[in-house]
Amino acid sequence: MSDFARKVCMLGDFGVGKTSLVARYVRNTFSDKYLTTVGVKVDSRSVALSDEVNLKLVIWDIAGKAALDSVNKNYLRGASGLILVADGTREPSLRAALDLALQAREVVASPACVLFVNKLDMVDRWEVAPAVLGEIRRSLAVFETSALSGDGVEAGFIELARKLAP
Amino acid sequence: MTMPDPVERYLDEFLRARARPLLLTFDANWQLVDVHGDTSIRGLDADGPHTLVQQLQDLFLGLPCDQPQDLPFVELAGGIHAHVHLIPESDRFHLLLLDASDEHARTQVQQQLGNDATLAVFEKTRSLARLRQIRNELEQQRARLEEANALKNALFATLSHEFRTPLTSIFGYLHLLERYGESARDQALSALRRNASYLFALAENLLEYGRSEAGETLLTPTVLDLSVLVTDLEAMFCPLAAEKRLELSVEAGPVPPSDALFDVVKLRQIAINLLSNALRYTPAGYVCVYLGWERDRLRIEVRDSGLGIDAEYQAKVFKPFNRGAQHGACSAGLGLSIVKRLVERMSGLIELESTPGKGSAFRVALPPLVAAGPPQVAPVVPEGSHRSFSSALVVDDDPDVAALLEVLLGDFGMRARIATNVAEAIAMVAAEVPDLVLVDVELPGLSGNAAVYQLRSQGYKGRIVTVSANATESARSAAITAGADHYLTKPLDFVQFARVVQGFAAVT
Ligand SMILES: Nc1nc2c(ncn2[C@@H]2O[C@H](COP(=O)(O)OP(=O)(O)O)[C@@H](O)[C@H]2O)c(=O)[nH]1
Ligand SMILES: [Mg+2]
Repeated sequence: MSDFARKVCMLGDFGVGKTSLVARYVRNTFSDKYLTTVGVKVDSRSVALSDEVNLKLVIWDIAGKAALDSVNKNYLRGASGLILVADGTREPSLRAALDLALQAREVVASPACVLFVNKLDMVDRWEVAPAVLGEIRRSLAVFETSALSGDGVEAGFIELARKLAP
Repeated sequence: MTMPDPVERYLDEFLRARARPLLLTFDANWQLVDVHGDTSIRGLDADGPHTLVQQLQDLFLGLPCDQPQDLPFVELAGGIHAHVHLIPESDRFHLLLLDASDEHARTQVQQQLGNDATLAVFEKTRSLARLRQIRNELEQQRARLEEANALKNALFATLSHEFRTPLTSIFGYLHLLERYGESARDQALSALRRNASYLFALAENLLEYGRSEAGETLLTPTVLDLSVLVTDLEAMFCPLAAEKRLELSVEAGPVPPSDALFDVVKLRQIAINLLSNALRYTPAGYVCVYLGWERDRLRIEVRDSGLGIDAEYQAKVFKPFNRGAQHGACSAGLGLSIVKRLVERMSGLIELESTPGKGSAFRVALPPLVAAGPPQVAPVVPEGSHRSFSSALVVDDDPDVAALLEVLLGDFGMRARIATNVAEAIAMVAAEVPDLVLVDVELPGLSGNAAVYQLRSQGYKGRIVTVSANATESARSAAITAGADHYLTKPLDFVQFARVVQGFAAVT
């Protein structure tokens, strides 16, 4: 059994559900109360990639902003993976997530990336058209997720873990 | 810049009391070698330094430990917030934790206010847009209702007129029969028959109009016996023509092939309406009817030497309750509007050629019906198209409904699999792509719309029909926006369902 660990960062505008997604994945909990994240919280969960390989995902949940400031860039150092998070009910948050990914490349050379489009439980209010995600999917792994119901969350994290496998 | 000793001491104490520094010293292999400072606060006592050390090790994963680092506002076990500084020293390094709980709380309040304000503005803009949309919809609905209301009023006005004329005549001839008995019998009976037929046609038209209000009417394909139709029309209209001293000829052309099916009831309705219209608006001369199979269409032509219709009214004549369209008439009633609707319902064409003062000719061309109703479908849909539209996925958590849909789809020669929730549906489509997905919106957990959305975003190109108990326009539009081709409401109208599926099969 070989164990290794990788740092991954949650990136996305505030309120899109980064903290909630981590809570769902790591602790299997959800709260509908909104408490903005200040600074960073580090959580971890191990994924068995095979019988021999165990990957520990060290997940950085950082304060959400539409643009990266120097503090956030500092937080990104040493990351191997990025989880871009958008809120399906807020179309601008999708652009923000993709934009953040571009900015992150200044700090992280070639990170493994997945995109979570969150709040799937509110799909009737989504502003992002399915065809748009279909288009993005050509170049990026996309997961429609709901931190509330849990749908898509596990699958998304596992996909990133696979991309991080040595 | 050294300050006087007492100040230095004061500052040192003050800052220490604030920051409550905790220092952890590690060797190059992350072995804790020393601890200084306020250990109680960080919960180090409880289960030893293990949890904290593990967290710090995670925190510096991927970062070099031989360079100074500064990570502000790190949330640690127990909800404690600290600024974490790494200070390297030859073969070891120190992690200095400065308490940031108060500062964190203050910053969080401020940041939250800012975020909430931004979200509120976003929400407000969106609510305004939604309100505007709702107002538009209401406006349109009001206009539709007003139009419907005007139509209803016109209907009643026309009806009283249209019913009164034949009824007056019926009462008149009944009176004649009572009064003169045998001598008036033949004349009275033919008048009674004529007016009763007229009332019958009127009632049929009203029913048809009511059906059109309620939604599309269904077609029943049957074999057409042209000679029967021609004889009936003659019998029905000869008396009226004779009374008005008009020449009436009903002519049958080539008979359609036996596999060309038509909705005969509706066909009769078309012919009757065209004929009674022609007889009504022709004061002298002739009315000629022709029915026959030419160039793969059933052709119906009704020519008259009547009043004719002005060019400007020719389009209006097909609208219900138009006034003044035909010369000398106060209303054309429902007849022609129903003819047009029926012709279009059967995918046919209708033309009008008219010269005021000379007469009019209505020409109808009807293609044979393709198929209708579940039982007729299987034989009519060609083999090839069966193979290309043959598999379905039913997403419904109610086993009875799912089983019923499976059977219905089986009638169309389709094989159905069943999923009971969104995740299962996505997985089953990924495993084997079906031609049709039938999704119930009201599923446990995520709604069926979420399944539709994901399928579309994953590039599913097949047909999707959404079924829901919610009959509102917003529910329908949510389903269509998510990517559904059709939205059907519960309780499911099986005839409509059949038509939708059949439509897919036909174009696939
Ligand atoms: N309905 C719904 N609400 C969510 C979901 N994820 C997060 N939220 C809510 O969105 C708000 C912001 O979530 P949070 O995780 O703090 O967002 P962050 O700023 O990106 O960390 C909170 O009120 C959450 O309860 C979701 O999947 N569905
Ligand atoms: Mg957060």
